[in-house]
Formats: sequence, structure tokens, C-alpha cells
Amino acid sequence: MTRTVLVTGAGGVGKTTFSAALAVKAARAGVRTLVVTVDPARRLASAIGVNDLGDEPQPHEEEGNLWAAMLDSEASWRAVAMRHADPDVATRLADNEFFRAASEHFPASQSYAAADQAATFVQARVWDLVIVDTPPSGGGIDFFTAPAQMADLVGGRLLRWITGGPLPGRRFFYDRAARPMLRVADTILGSDLLQRVSEFLLDLRTTYDGVARRGREIEKVLREAATLVVTTADPAPLDEAVRFYRQLPDLATTPAAVIFNRALPAEWARVKPDPGLPVELGRIAEQWSAETVRQADAREEFSARYGARVATIPWRPSPPTSLSGLASIVEASEGIPWDELLP
Amino acid sequence: MLDKRLVVVTGKGGVGKSAVATGLALMAQRHGLRVLAVEMEPGGGLSAHLGTGELAFEPREVRPGLHAMKMVRSDALLEYLSLQLRLPGMGRFGPFARAFDALATAAPAVREIVTIGKILWEVRADRWDVVVVDAPPTGQIASYLRAPASISELVTTGRIRAQAEWMANTLADPDMTRLLVVTLPEELPTTETLETIDWVEAAGVVGPPLVIANRVLEKVGVATTPEGVVGDMVNLHRSLTTEQERWLERLPPDMTLPYLFGLFTPGEVAAHISDELEALA
Repeated sequence: MTRTVLVTGAGGVGKTTFSAALAVKAARAGVRTLVVTVDPARRLASAIGVNDLGDEPQPHEEEGNLWAAMLDSEASWRAVAMRHADPDVATRLADNEFFRAASEHFPASQSYAAADQAATFVQARVWDLVIVDTPPSGGGIDFFTAPAQMADLVGGRLLRWITGGPLPGRRFFYDRAARPMLRVADTILGSDLLQRVSEFLLDLRTTYDGVARRGREIEKVLREAATLVVTTADPAPLDEAVRFYRQLPDLATTPAAVIFNRALPAEWARVKPDPGLPVELGRIAEQWSAETVRQADAREEFSARYGARVATIPWRPSPPTSLSGLASIVEASEGIPWDELLP
Repeated sequence: MLDKRLVVVTGKGGVGKSAVATGLALMAQRHGLRVLAVEMEPGGGLSAHLGTGELAFEPREVRPGLHAMKMVRSDALLEYLSLQLRLPGMGRFGPFARAFDALATAAPAVREIVTIGKILWEVRADRWDVVVVDAPPTGQIASYLRAPASISELVTTGRIRAQAEWMANTLADPDMTRLLVVTLPEELPTTETLETIDWVEAAGVVGPPLVIANRVLEKVGVATTPEGVVGDMVNLHRSLTTEQERWLERLPPDMTLPYLFGLFTPGEVAAHISDELEALA
């Protein structure tokens, strides 16, 4: 069976780098591993051997057990239409301006695409381990609620509100178009817009059964996956990590660990610089010492308050650009519960 | 920075845009201006940085002269329908509002004009000297700033169209509106900020943005490296500044804010940033 690890956390904390590092570690331990990322930095993408966006996993040239895939959320959204709608409806949807807008702006869009793709890879049973670098929206919570939100979106909720009645067919809708409410909407928006939106919603509605069924499959994969939360000790990302623990989504397992990136060595705390040092160096020492103390306090508080297992990754001046660089990240880490993550 | 009526603060997630927006609002308040600070995103960081607890749609005075509110689309919509579109009683006509809201989800320019529209009505209402917006991240800001112009294309008739025009004009007027992009001297925020700058220039819906690089470390002016732990600290500091310089060269910022060491709470961070902005101004 394929093991799945979902890596969540705020943007900018090094979540993608950590996901890739975890994948390299597993691959080097002989585990067939796929890492799925969204929008990685160019240097990282080339380190894990992918240079094109695409839903197809690409094998690494040198590391036999390592695959990587980068998601293109717009393409994934199109795939939803292609998979769940009749061919002519799917084509009409893909060309529809509202469909394109919805794929860009529906809040759960990128999360849904990522969850859908990840579930496809897990179900393929080609890999022993699938590591998913989840999109950061909603503090990582969106990723878990996206399948339900998507089904709700296409399920006609919008349409019911517009028509005020049960789910109509196309003719029914136009018969009812004289309702006063719609007349008011026409006055404000112009009837053209309303009609175009309605046509789009009716088309979208035809994908409902497929999307709902698929949503249940995706949710099963999420429910069986291990979860990791990545953060730094900075106030803003830490707030997001707290939010994830407090509002733990129904579909998420209790995180195996919260991983504090950019950790400073414990011995830097409360360093008393030699009074003979140049003043500037003394000030730098005080600053980093204060930062070390703050980090340790933040980790301790988090662990005490949420009963979380805490792991750390040392602060590196620049992101790794090679497989060995990625591997060295996990080698220098402390507290990662490998036995819960590796198959 | 405070001579505009509307300051929209954006940036990639995690760069500290809420802290900068809050710092700016606090600075304006200290200058005796009547300030409205707006949290655009649910769970946005403005309320955390102001230390106010949950904000409401109705602006609340959180410090003398400083009001804060959060954007609630359904409330903005009801207000829009009843006050701006002069559809009396629409506020009580729940199903209509919900239908409109549903429509707005499918036609995002409609959705966004309701929220950016609320902000622009506040700018126009003359209750504030400056409105500071903790806006959505750079990835989504385009659809908000473009909304009034898009509506003009999307909606060929109707009252919304007429209003969309003055909204577009307010955003595009560099004497009225300032877009502020917060970034970090790192790869992804730099790339995304450069893309935003290109987009702004091409779209022309708002004047040239002001770029603020956050968490910039001061270069070490001393060449020697002491032994032991302090030496390790100095080495890390030097390596970090070298990495940062690479990205600052790629995207020279209009202003820089320093890395803040040893701070615990969002409130402390915002207060420091406010002082730094003051010193820069």
C-alpha cells in the first residue's frame, strides 16, 4: 500500500524544500518516492529534476527511486471538466470565460486540484510513498475541505439561489426568467451577463455526480494520510500553525510533528560575548542570542499547549541546489518521527 | 506614503504585509490623521497585529483616530444594494442578496467589485484622511484592482457600469491611490514581486507600486571573525546578507525594513515597523 504524507504550513516557511528533502531521504533509503509540489522555486525544481510544469511525474535522472511532479492548477481544473462532463459540454466549459475565472478565483481551486492529483498518484499504486507539498491557502486547512467545497460549488447551490427553486433544467430556467428577482438582477447587471452566468452554471452542474464521487475518493486518501506541519518561529507563520492545530480539519490525522524550520543552535542562547570584541560583533551576538531564546520559547509553548511533537531543521543561509544539499537538511534535523512517515 | 487617500498593501504570503499595513496605519494615526484600516481576507493578520481581537464589518475605533474593519462580502453586498444601487428594502430581501452572492461567485469581477467597491466608497465618503488596506496576496491582487475595469467590459448596461468607471478612475489616479508591495530578499517573493510590477505596468489600472523589502539584515562592517559560537553567528549573518544581496540587486527596493530580532508578538512587530517607517518617511 502507498503511504501518503501531507506537508502543510504557511507560505514562505520552507515547506516545499522540506518536502523535497524528505523525498530524497526516503528515496535514498530504497523507498519508491514521489514528491508533488505546487509552484517551487526554480533552484529547487532543478535540484529535484523537474523543469516543466505538468501533471505527469518525472523520474530523477540520477536518483533511481525519486519522482517529482509540479502541479498546474489551471490544467487540473480543465481536467475536472474533461473527466466529468460530456465531451461537448467539457469543450464549452473550457472555453467559457466564467469557467476560467472560477478556476482562477474559486478559493479552494488550487487546493482541489492538488488534492485530486495527489489522490490519483496514491491510487496508481506505483509508489511506496507520495509526499504532497500542499498549497498554503487557509493555513493548509483549505486542502482538506476542498473536495466538499468543490462538490458544493458545482452541485447547483448557486443555481438554486438564482432560481429560488429546485435544480432546474435549461428550459425550466428560461421559463422562470421572468421572476421579479431576476428582473431586478437584469436591471443592475444587464440580462446578458445573467444569462451567460446561468448557462455556465447549468453546464457545470452536469459534472456534479462525477465530482461528488471523486470527492469521496479523495477524502478517503486524505483520511488515511500522515500529516506534518512546517513553520518557523516567526509570529505570523506560527499563528497559522496554531490555527491548523486548533481547527484540525475532520479529514486530517493529528499531525505526526510540527517542524520548526530555520532553527538556531541551542548553545547560541544567552551567549555572553567577550567584552574585547568589536562593538558591532558584540551586537550581532546579542541579536542572534535573543533570536535563539525566542525560538526555543516558541517551540516549548507550542509543544506544551497542543501536545505536539516538535522537530527542528537548522537555519541555512541559502536554499539547497542539489540532492546532497537536500539530503543534508534531513540529516541535520532533529525529532522527525521517521517510523510514522516511511512505509 | 501618507499623502494618498488609499494605500493598498500586498505581497506574497509570509512576507509581512499585514505587519507593514498595520505599521503604516499606526504611523498615520500618530500623525493625527483619521485612519481606516481594512482587513480584506478572512483570518488576515491585521487584527492580530493591532491586537484588537476579531474585527467587524462596521468600522470600530481601536485607537484614537484609528478605525479598523474587516471585509465581509455579504455585508458589503447588502450595503451596496441598499445604499449605492438604491434598491430600497434589498437588505431585507435575503434571497435576492444570496442570489446575487451566488452570481458573484461565478463572475468574480462582480464579487470583487463589491469588496473593492466598499473600500472606494469609504475613500470617497470623506470620513477618512487615509484608508490603509491589508489586501490579498500578490497572486490575487490583480483581480481586485482590475475589477472595476473588467466590470465595464463585462456589464454592457446597468447602474454598476457607471459606478465602475469612477472606481477605475480613483484606482488609476496616482494622487489618490498607492499600491505598496512588500517583499523579502529571497527567490520566490522577488520573482512574484517582479511579476506584479510587470503586470501593473501592463494593466495600467493603478500607478507604479512602491516596493518595500522586509527583514533585511545589516551587513557586517567588520572583516574579522572571532572564535567559537560568536564566530558561528557572524558567519551565518554574513552568509545570509550575501544571499539577501543577490535578490536586492535583482529587485532594488524603494525602502528596506530591518530584520527584527527576538520579538514575540505580532503587536510588537507592528509597533517596530511603524517606528521604522516613521524614520524612513
